[in-house]
Amino acid sequence: MKYSYTRLKELSGTKKTPKELAELLTMRAFEFEEMKTEGKETQLEFSILPNRGHDALSHIGMAREISALEGKKYGELAISKLDLKAGLKVEIREKKLCPRYIGAVIENIRIAQSPKWMQERLVACGIKPINNVVDITNYVMLETGQPLHAFDADKTAGNIIVRKAKKGETIKLLDEKIYELNENDLVIADSEKALALAGVMGGFDSSISKETTSIILESASFNSTNIRKTRTLHNIITESSHRFERDIDPNLAEIAMVRASELIKKIGGNNVEVTAISDMYPKKVKPWQIKLDTDYVSSLLGEKIPVSRMKSILENLGLVIKVSGKILDCEILTRRIDLKTQEDLIEEIGRIYGYENIKEQAPIVEVKTPPQNAKRNFENNLRDILAGLGFSEVMNYSFYGKEDIEKCLLKIEDHVEVANPLSSEQQYLRRNLISNLLKNVELNLKNFPKVQIFEIGNKFCNDKGKFSEIPLLVGAIADNGANDLLFFQMKGKLEALFHDIGIQSTDFQISNEEYKFWHPTRAARIMINGEKIGRIGEISPIVLKKYSIKQRVAVFGLKIEELIKISAQEKQYQPISKFPTVERDISMFVGKETKYSDIVSSIQKNGGNLVKNIELFDVFEKEGEKSLALRIKIGSDSKTLTSEEIDALMKKIISALQRELRVRVRK
Amino acid sequence: MEKEKIIIIKSRFLAEIGNSRNEKELYDIKVKFVGRNGELTKILKNLKNLSAVERKEIGPLANQARQEIEGIYENRKKELGSQVDWEKEKIDVTLPGEKISRGSLHPITLVYREIEKIFSSMGFEVVEGPELETDWYNFTALNFPLDHPARDMQDTFWIKSPKEKMVLRTHTSPVQVRYMEKRKPPFRIIVPGRVYRNEATDAAHEHTLHQFEALVVGDDINVGHFKYIAKEFFSAFFGKQINIRLRPSFFPFTEPSFEFDISCTVCGGKKCPSCKNSGWLEIGGAGMVNQNVFVSAGYPRNKYQGFAWGFGIERLAMMKYKIDDIRWFESGDLRFIKQF
Repeated sequence: MKYSYTRLKELSGTKKTPKELAELLTMRAFEFEEMKTEGKETQLEFSILPNRGHDALSHIGMAREISALEGKKYGELAISKLDLKAGLKVEIREKKLCPRYIGAVIENIRIAQSPKWMQERLVACGIKPINNVVDITNYVMLETGQPLHAFDADKTAGNIIVRKAKKGETIKLLDEKIYELNENDLVIADSEKALALAGVMGGFDSSISKETTSIILESASFNSTNIRKTRTLHNIITESSHRFERDIDPNLAEIAMVRASELIKKIGGNNVEVTAISDMYPKKVKPWQIKLDTDYVSSLLGEKIPVSRMKSILENLGLVIKVSGKILDCEILTRRIDLKTQEDLIEEIGRIYGYENIKEQAPIVEVKTPPQNAKRNFENNLRDILAGLGFSEVMNYSFYGKEDIEKCLLKIEDHVEVANPLSSEQQYLRRNLISNLLKNVELNLKNFPKVQIFEIGNKFCNDKGKFSEIPLLVGAIADNGANDLLFFQMKGKLEALFHDIGIQSTDFQISNEEYKFWHPTRAARIMINGEKIGRIGEISPIVLKKYSIKQRVAVFGLKIEELIKISAQEKQYQPISKFPTVERDISMFVGKETKYSDIVSSIQKNGGNLVKNIELFDVFEKEGEKSLALRIKIGSDSKTLTSEEIDALMKKIISALQRELRVRVRK
Repeated sequence: MEKEKIIIIKSRFLAEIGNSRNEKELYDIKVKFVGRNGELTKILKNLKNLSAVERKEIGPLANQARQEIEGIYENRKKELGSQVDWEKEKIDVTLPGEKISRGSLHPITLVYREIEKIFSSMGFEVVEGPELETDWYNFTALNFPLDHPARDMQDTFWIKSPKEKMVLRTHTSPVQVRYMEKRKPPFRIIVPGRVYRNEATDAAHEHTLHQFEALVVGDDINVGHFKYIAKEFFSAFFGKQINIRLRPSFFPFTEPSFEFDISCTVCGGKKCPSCKNSGWLEIGGAGMVNQNVFVSAGYPRNKYQGFAWGFGIERLAMMKYKIDDIRWFESGDLRFIKQF
């Protein structure tokens, strides 16, 4: 809120300059925002914390705060009592939503401009002057914190009724827009129609005009939650709604009414007369008590503050304190709605005592090693391995748009949708991490011949309204230098990763599921110990085209939680054989559909543990046949093999290959 | 006469052979002395013209000289053979090294690791929680009443959800309640994680952020403890003495609540442009855990005391690496990431 320095000074009696005041309040109460000087007025802006709106969004409230911070008691202004007079009937139909309503009929008013000093002060506080009556309501609101409203009495008919809006009821408000009201909106009405949206904005038809001579002045309290609902629904924020949704002490309504009617009598024309005042206040709010344990104050703040100091701090805030031993019996003023618990009072003591005066102290804690976060440690291990394999880490948004979903051939209904997205490109939560990785690939290919990236992050799934969040590791490679063999470059890196995290055997299976953005003939499911843990493959050229990527892109995606489960085993040393091994090569023609993995398993099955290693060293295709050349390492752990034994083994392996897989071994 | 000649031949051979630099020169020298027309060969050939007495004296001498020469020649030949032509070996060591494809980790990861290392050394446990969160854990359990202006402090992404009200978590604090539901004090934890704020992006604002928060709960944890741990942490993180300043604030889940500032890492508090001449840098929020939060987690009211504090990783990374635009972090641009 923007405050007038001059007014704060008048009310609090502070001797501080605006700058000193800004510093004091920032360290002890509210953060200073801005300062502006125009003519006689200096404007000071502070951001008032949401729990202090009910008292500090006013000059009197702020002056009280300044006095307390300077160690003084605030000298309250003397306010006379309401002088009730019959003549205005007020009916509150929603007592929970409107705990108090004071209405006054004031007649013989001459609408004119308000005095210059008032106009200047309103401007200093960021409010536009309109006419004397409206300016007074605003002025009193700025001074006391109580929003007020004035109706043109001649444009109302009968009683004032506080009720909920009827279904389909409409009202034209002061902003000259017509609103269709909801049944939960509270309105101020007369016998015929709604006059105002209670606590939010007045109605256009009953507003003060140049012709107005008599008014109904309203000073009321409204339920904060309901005001907030209404202003959110209709998207209207006013000085009034801003204060009411922060909750206002119903006792303040009386003070504001007295102050406003005095001002109107003074500057509203010579014959102004208050002809009726009605106050509906069925359930009076009274001060409440908090028992504050002074030991708890010291324990929570970590500082021994003398009880007399605690007492004077609270008394300067206007609380009435009685000391009984270690307990302070505190009577809380109704305007400090925020003070409800001991901790609330401890905060008041702490901030005014000064947090800088609280000494740092090492906590006394049990010495123990904390439990390790296995997932986070594992992810960090993955990051180090991948960086070593040449991958750089990216972090992408968890969002993407309909366009990305369509480009990647995914289904909208599988996605979690944001109700209030920043833009249509961020309307859905990512159902996979690869879509955003493709955007990174496209961007980086402009600057680098080879792009190799990974990301660790969550994907969000929507299974018919059942949401889940799954941590993934994904990676991508695009390489100008290695186009056709890109899949194998990626597979090699992935195998190195598996080796490093202690996974012994991996199975790459051709999957027959939906391909979505995957290349239909260059993708595989990754299986470990029979568990599906992810996929590897190239991106379909049809999808790449939509991303304007011209080269091949190989990607992988792994489920981190599955990976942790199987990688947890410790590595184990295998004794190194003392006996020599020999290498034998086999070259063969195989059918185009014969898989390398079947050849390897046949050799392993038939060679048993004498086959130490199998390596592929040449592949080519000729007239519909694939030629493979393999180097087999043979040896025994218990003796040196004779050449006859080796020949016999090779013969067994070859005949099995011919029989089982119909390969043609080249001699 | 002949005897002196042999001695001279031997010493000349030794001198010449010592100067030979390669096998060719060495061979030529050998030929010069013991070749078909070599100087020593001539003496040997001439033996038959000598008297029997002379022959008996010179013969063995000449033969011995020849053997010595052959022996010395072989040794020298070996010596020359193991020599390397350093000139031929010479390379330009200033040429660039072979390009190795090396990956970089994201700066957010690097800052997280640094923070986690410091807290782990102080005995903190690292705990995580979901990003897609219920309204209960993100707000209500943390003492944000329904329809309360405190909810406006955090611009929220709401999720279209058929059942429970869901949000993208606006802070890491939901993990406080999730953790406390399962564990009893005393404990000290840190919670790293991604959070979301519904606000338009510019050089200083992002809707996707990384946060960090610490929670310490016990029987008598107090404000002084918080100040101590915060000071220890920031001094370790920046590698120099850092001071902490607390200002009053409001968060529904803490009471009392603070904003906390650290002494400027550039000028140490002497006031400079980096701290807008205030000597302090605003870092984050903190406070003593509100008893209502303990109650949400199932603890009895007023049995425990604790503090919670959180701050943004991007801000720390920007300070540490002097990054001028927050949008780089989620850009996926390798020109940025490769610098780390």
